[in-house]
Amino acid sequence: MLESDLALRNATYGLFVELGRAPTAAEAAERVGSGADEVVRGWRRLHDAHALVLNPATDELRMANPFSAVPTAYRVQARGRWWYANCAWDAFGVLAALHEDGVIETSCADCGEALRVEVRDERPDDESLLFHCLVPAERWWADIVFT
Amino acid sequence: MNLFRSEEHVERWLGGREPGATIPVAKLSELAQAWWDDRVSPEWRPHTREQNQAILDSLGLTGPFWRLPG
Repeated sequence: MLESDLALRNATYGLFVELGRAPTAAEAAERVGSGADEVVRGWRRLHDAHALVLNPATDELRMANPFSAVPTAYRVQARGRWWYANCAWDAFGVLAALHEDGVIETSCADCGEALRVEVRDERPDDESLLFHCLVPAERWWADIVFT
Repeated sequence: MNLFRSEEHVERWLGGREPGATIPVAKLSELAQAWWDDRVSPEWRPHTREQNQAILDSLGLTGPFWRLPG
């Protein structure tokens, strides 16, 4: 990974946390002192390196894992706001990345019953719940949105 | 990568599909801590495959299902 792409990636994540949403290419360009076109080219390289995920149709951010740029079934409350995560693993990942306690809201993928998990000092308050990962690790990035 | 109320709910959701891996939510939280802890650090650098595999191994997530691509 180019050092300039690494700097762009870290600036992008920094902005995501500051703004509470995915930054636009123009916002990232202002942060790193380049042009928006250059940012999009860098984001594409980072997408190919699995360092973030773009919407291929628009070149906008789709995921800055564990954060989702679009609404999902995994909502996480931390630092006084709500975040979206890409999956259950990422929901806990949002709290890990922010180094915060918080609350995860989702539903049982089978029956749809609402699930609310409070995480304090890295421990979930309801330890009866189960996490199921359908796709083997070897294929996680073959279709990361499905995974 | 979903949450379920119990093993019974996992099995019903699978509906005969080949299962993946099921772990308790407390183990998932441990995994998330190890995997994502550094993700918004301004000094973040990409994990190597070996680093990520070591995280899985350290939590007992071993075997073919948890083997990352080489």
